[in-house]
Amino acid sequence: MINDKDSQKIVDYIQNFSRKHSLFVMAYGTGCGAIEIPATMTSRYDAERFGIRGAATPRQADVLLITGYLATKTLKRVIRVYEQMQEPKYVIGFGSCTINGGMYYDSYNTINALEQYIPVDVYINGCMPRPESVISGFIKLQELIQQGKADNGKRYRENLEWYRTNQKKIIKNWKMPDYNW
Amino acid sequence: MNLFFIILLILFSSAILAFISNRIVRGSSGIIAFIGITAASILFFTQLSIGSTYSFSLGGIQMQFGLNSFTYLFAIIVLGLGVMASLYSIQYMKGKERLGYFYFNFVLTILGMVGIIFSQDFITFFIFWEIMTWSSYLIVIYNGYSVSKVGIKYMIFSALGAYAMLTAIVSIKGIYGSFMIKDAMAAGAFNFTDHLYIPILLLIGFAVKAALMPLHVWAPKAYSMSPMSFTAVFSGAMSKMGILGMGLVLASIYSHASPEDSVNSLILKQVLGWLGGITAVMATIYALIQTDAKKLLAYSSIAQLGYIVVGLSTGTQLGVMAALFLAVVHAIFKGTLFMAAGAVEKQAGTTDMTKVSGLIRKMPFTFFASLISIIALAGVPPLGGFVGKWMLYESLITESDSYFLVIVIFFSSTAAFLYSYRFLFGLFLGQEEKETEHVKEAPLTMVIPMTILALLLIVTGLYPGILFEPIAHGMEYLGYSNVNWDMSVLNNIWGEQTNMSYIFTSIGVVFVVVILFISLKGYKGTRNVGTKEISTSGEIPLEHENLTYQLDYYKPFERAAAPLYKRSMNKIWNDIGNALEAVFNFTRRIYTGNGQTYALFVIIFLVILLIFKDSLFAN
Amino acid sequence: MEDLGLKIFGAILTTIMAFAVGMTYGGIVRKLTARVQNRFGPPFYQNFLDLVKLQSKKTNIAHGFMGHTAPVWIIIASITVLMFIPILNGNLWFPNLNFHGDLIFILYMMVFGSLGMALGAGQTGNPNSAIGVTRGLSMMVGYEIPFVLALVALMVQYHTTSIQDLMQIQHESGTWLIFSNPFAFLAALFASLGMFRYSPFDIVGAPAELASGPMSEFGGKYLGTMMTGGSIFSFIKLTLYVDLFLGGAGNPDHIGIWATLAGIGVLLIKTFTLYMVPVFYGWVSPRYRTEQAIRYFWGWPTALGIIGLIWAVY
Repeated sequence: MINDKDSQKIVDYIQNFSRKHSLFVMAYGTGCGAIEIPATMTSRYDAERFGIRGAATPRQADVLLITGYLATKTLKRVIRVYEQMQEPKYVIGFGSCTINGGMYYDSYNTINALEQYIPVDVYINGCMPRPESVISGFIKLQELIQQGKADNGKRYRENLEWYRTNQKKIIKNWKMPDYNW
Repeated sequence: MNLFFIILLILFSSAILAFISNRIVRGSSGIIAFIGITAASILFFTQLSIGSTYSFSLGGIQMQFGLNSFTYLFAIIVLGLGVMASLYSIQYMKGKERLGYFYFNFVLTILGMVGIIFSQDFITFFIFWEIMTWSSYLIVIYNGYSVSKVGIKYMIFSALGAYAMLTAIVSIKGIYGSFMIKDAMAAGAFNFTDHLYIPILLLIGFAVKAALMPLHVWAPKAYSMSPMSFTAVFSGAMSKMGILGMGLVLASIYSHASPEDSVNSLILKQVLGWLGGITAVMATIYALIQTDAKKLLAYSSIAQLGYIVVGLSTGTQLGVMAALFLAVVHAIFKGTLFMAAGAVEKQAGTTDMTKVSGLIRKMPFTFFASLISIIALAGVPPLGGFVGKWMLYESLITESDSYFLVIVIFFSSTAAFLYSYRFLFGLFLGQEEKETEHVKEAPLTMVIPMTILALLLIVTGLYPGILFEPIAHGMEYLGYSNVNWDMSVLNNIWGEQTNMSYIFTSIGVVFVVVILFISLKGYKGTRNVGTKEISTSGEIPLEHENLTYQLDYYKPFERAAAPLYKRSMNKIWNDIGNALEAVFNFTRRIYTGNGQTYALFVIIFLVILLIFKDSLFAN
Repeated sequence: MEDLGLKIFGAILTTIMAFAVGMTYGGIVRKLTARVQNRFGPPFYQNFLDLVKLQSKKTNIAHGFMGHTAPVWIIIASITVLMFIPILNGNLWFPNLNFHGDLIFILYMMVFGSLGMALGAGQTGNPNSAIGVTRGLSMMVGYEIPFVLALVALMVQYHTTSIQDLMQIQHESGTWLIFSNPFAFLAALFASLGMFRYSPFDIVGAPAELASGPMSEFGGKYLGTMMTGGSIFSFIKLTLYVDLFLGGAGNPDHIGIWATLAGIGVLLIKTFTLYMVPVFYGWVSPRYRTEQAIRYFWGWPTALGIIGLIWAVY
């Protein structure tokens, strides 16, 4: 029965449905974008109605939300947090800085494209993106989850070599533990 | 030759042999002590029957050895724990100095306790009591930590207790004409009506050994400073000798209480009960601020003895039963815990919880034994400790009027969770630091006794009836009739009951189901990691960075309970000591060295005598 | 044999009911909190979704044996206590093991889960977990005092230590114990504020400073199982309070299926009303420091408990 294709489909549907409606967010508020998170969560925009909720530690989190520019120093911490999260996990890049560096495109100590270092599922454009667009980004992620296309952890595992090379270019004193999934 | 003498002789000769053999083969004395104690216990449990006596006379004084069902209970504690501790001791004491000295005194202490159990008259009782006290004193100073502070305190209080006891014994002989314990009990020697001071002096003597407040100040250091293999016996068995004596005296008081002195015995109940309760509370709150595991356990011993005294003080059937049950269970779990602390000390070098942590992976068996014992200590179901606590509460609520004592006891036993957890967390859980990387599991002969005792705790939880049987017989000896007990059902006098076997079933079934679920579900995706793999806000802690949280562990509680910490019995005793010194100083000034002054004193004395002649020699 | 099968069926049914009710209550509280904060809020079944998601996480992290078994301890404590607490008065449908354990046992068994949780959190080695545990244990010493005072008052007043008998007494006399000993009830009610760990007593989790404290290293199936245990536990606490003070639910004289359902309905109404007390209190309160929380419980709640005990004795 369990190996039956249809019942597997039903299980998948239920799992994806609950995954999509219960997103525990690890908001990594490094950049200026962090200021939009309270607005998104509180009464005016109320992200909790979509099941979006803050998580205290990466162990409990599903979504890593990178809000804005990443300095080369903080990149190491972001990677650590990302690796500590448990699969299935998702990453949302928030603001122009995570896409192409934004206004810091030529800065000596920020990274330009987040995608080079960890896989990203959804980008939210803007500088700053307003809470509406943040929520729309989450809804986009929910669609991806329901379709089963959000395979962030798998992509990271499969292309670990490539990501590691990129990461090591930025982080000079490399003292990260191995990622051995 | 009589069996009593044979057992004592075996113990005595093994003490001597242990002393000598260390000179011949180094390290052999531990094995000899173990063999001696084991042989004595085998002989005791197989050959000796309850109720047998043997009389003899020494220097014209009639003495008697015997075994009754009450002391048999304590013999189980002493010999059972003695065998385990001496087995444990072989490896624990390996490589230490003066082994002959240690084992001589170790076996002699056991001999003293066995002698106390055998003695049917006050003279032998007192002789063996002193043997026990002195040999244990010699072990307390064995480690050589500031003898003046640790040993002297123990000696002073023991001497105080011994004098009090001796005075009472001599008075009993003077008044009732017999040294026999049974005669004294039958004659009502401990009653309040005739001679109030006799039971009180005896109780003081026993309270010193039972570490009852305010006579407890010797205990924390004496317990924590002696070698752990001895402390297991010291705290587990020797303190129970005080309970033995108290049990005899109190049972005699309550069962012979005539209507006239029921008021007195009510006062005694309240005073003893509250002393026990306050002992429990104060010892508990001091236990939870300790950073040394050994000291923590020492304070916790005092607290647990407080519960036992409370149980005894109720004088009701359930209360005394609870006290005796707790006495046996306390011997088991505190023996195990001291052994575990000793194993950590042996393997890791220290029991300071700020220095040692995260030993669970390195010493899993020691952790298991400690975990079981801590659960029993905290009184959490379903282990033996809970059975004792349950009966204690039920007896206080259903059979006595001291309802507020229940609250005090409950406060103490809730606060006991704090130090229970602290012990496990401090030594076994928490960060695995680099300093303890080399630590390995303790040798087999240290692990076996701990594991056996821990398993015993589970058995006494499931079938407390195993212990109820000897306890019930012992209580019948004390004068309680129709002591009812069940194999695994606890009853109170209002008819409510708690069924240990159902509790075990429920816990067992749920445990198996849930542990299977959680282990099998997503088995491949579950990874076991070390304690460095924790979420630290993305930071990667460096090698030298310390993530251990051990200092000021219960600071919030300390702040909340600050007024309780202001009082210290030590300070009060120091004040008493200073006051005495001042008095002696003053007395010294009387001796001026001038002959004329002395003559004046004589004259003054005579004048006083003459003035108060009538009132002093009226009859 | 048939009897045993029925009993096991009853036990499983009770567990499922406790689980469902506890989870739903949690969801409703989240919804209500959102409405109070002028938000729309998640649906009332949000907790179930969270649970399914946590259980369907593909990878999990365990920190050794104690960390692995911590959720097991919590479930053991919840289900075992549930088995020994009467759900309905004089019920034949969920008899479980009601007659085989009394209040003192329940009191101690309720600690079992916290101890296991503390041990599991301790083994993770996270300093935040350790701090959370010390806070939780310290606060426990605080709220257990008024709680025990209240329970002892009841036991002394009615000369019984069995919950079943206390419910029977309330049924026969027609008054709830909340009226015959209001002080004890108030003391226990204050203690319940600490037990449910809503604001201002949410010092254990303290998401802002301790990163959810003892839970901080648990995710996936471990967190999910803990949530299950916690939900059952909150239902147990509420049922215990209702049984002791609010007359319980159900009627021993009518044991038909409709009467049982009506009893469950009454139980739900009573428990939900009671549950709102700590929740309401939490909405308007910031967080205490640990020592303030302990002092709080040793202040008026303990005084009320003492008055209740004196009331009971004389």
